[in-house]
Amino acid sequence: MEPLRINWGGYMEQDTPLLVLENLSIGYNAVLASGISASIHAGEVIAVLGPSGIGKTTLVRTIAGLVEPIDGRVELLVDKRGGLGYIPQKLGLVRHASVYHNVNLGARASLPVLKGGSDERKKRVNSALSALGIEEKTTEPVRRLSGGQLRRVATARALAQRPSLLLADEFLSELDHNTVDVVIAAVKELLDAGTSIIMVEHHEENVTLLATRVWIIEGEKLYDFSIDEWKSNNSPVQVGLSPGGEEE
Amino acid sequence: MRKSFILAILVLLYLSCITLYNLVDDWGRLEGGWENLTIFVTESMWPPNWSVLEAQSYPVCEKDIEFFCSVGYLGMVETIKIAFVSTILGFIGALCLSSFAARNLMPMYIALPCRLILAATRSLPSLIWAILFVIVIGFGPLAGVLAMTFYTIGYLGKLQYETFEGMPSDALEVSKAMGLSHATTFTSVVIPETGNHLLSQLMFMFEYNVRHGTVIGIVGAGGIGYYINTYMKFLQYDKVLALLIIIFVVVVVIDLMSLMVRSFVTDEGDVRRPTWLKAMIKLYRSRNSSSQ
Repeated sequence: MEPLRINWGGYMEQDTPLLVLENLSIGYNAVLASGISASIHAGEVIAVLGPSGIGKTTLVRTIAGLVEPIDGRVELLVDKRGGLGYIPQKLGLVRHASVYHNVNLGARASLPVLKGGSDERKKRVNSALSALGIEEKTTEPVRRLSGGQLRRVATARALAQRPSLLLADEFLSELDHNTVDVVIAAVKELLDAGTSIIMVEHHEENVTLLATRVWIIEGEKLYDFSIDEWKSNNSPVQVGLSPGGEEE
Repeated sequence: MRKSFILAILVLLYLSCITLYNLVDDWGRLEGGWENLTIFVTESMWPPNWSVLEAQSYPVCEKDIEFFCSVGYLGMVETIKIAFVSTILGFIGALCLSSFAARNLMPMYIALPCRLILAATRSLPSLIWAILFVIVIGFGPLAGVLAMTFYTIGYLGKLQYETFEGMPSDALEVSKAMGLSHATTFTSVVIPETGNHLLSQLMFMFEYNVRHGTVIGIVGAGGIGYYINTYMKFLQYDKVLALLIIIFVVVVVIDLMSLMVRSFVTDEGDVRRPTWLKAMIKLYRSRNSSSQ
């Protein structure tokens, strides 16, 4: 089979899914959404939309293996060590450590210390710091940074990790336009390298800029649209959006 | 919320009073107690006998300054040495065990046995550990070091795994999602995030071990407690008081050290790290205001 594109870890074939969701039901005590069946392939960017509290974050956390599914199956076909990247809403940074330490954690996930590759890790970290424009903050403890800088650090961590699949939960929210531009440029760098992304997002322009598909959670169901279907059928993220695509 | 809190405190106070009433059968013993204490302190203990800071008659002091040959100095230094070594060894041992005992870092089937080991180690007081080690390896500081190390492992281990379990989960969740190993997660996420608490516990344990050096010394495990025990046997309570004051001063110094050390990892450290002088003035002022 013809290789589709070069991934950070090697060649990724078009038909090989990175993630398969089978009849998935998500939630904590009560079911938030059920009957979710979908798959994601290399290079795809999925924007997960829906009103607050509908289960977007729970879906991402279930995929990340942090919440047990109520029913159904999540099959992650990426490398267990470093294949999955995650930027949660609260960013999950180590507050009492330096920016470099935090970004280096991403590199260490895919290039464990025991397997060597110290130079490669340094290269990745420095390149990620430059891409996000925070190279001057390298030694600064994360707790001293502003909200926008924190989001840059979290994105740099993902950039240094170079995962096959990145889960990003509202990672572009509360950012000024300049920072959004910088972060999106870095994310595009990841996309060029073959990373797929599932992002929870609220802003139309960010969805339009990055997404290739849109998942909308509504009424305990997940609706899957191509980006063109979504653009033609709907004005952007709105509560109570009528499903315009096929139910999966 | 506030009403229920006050109610809970009152209920607990009432239960304590009932329990105390059931425990004590003869309240008449309180009569004359204060007078006895006054007589004991004024006639036997006060004033403290500072000859404990003079050179001992034997062995002959070969140092220029007599103080370095005194019971107070030698006993305190030995106690600090025992406490220092056992605190460090115990801290490392406790970290190893507590990293496997925290339920947010390990599954229950691994965490539970580790918790049982820590509980077993902790259930023997340091005095009993000291007696055990004196029986096994004889009198001296080594018995003290081993006794305190074991107790430190049990005690600090519990504090540590409870600290780990109380840390914010988001950084841990990212580590788990990214597939970081347990060792990397522990050393690069958990320890930096809980560093302030760990240092605080470490300094507290050091202080605790210095104070308990007096107790385990009594059973022959070395340190200043050995001298306290000797003076008590000969009813020289004024010397005992002098040694207790020395221990108090050392404990206060350790408290100040703790303040300094923790300022490196707390948010306060971002603003201003206190100098030794400022820390001491602060302590002096807070004591004055509390006594007024």
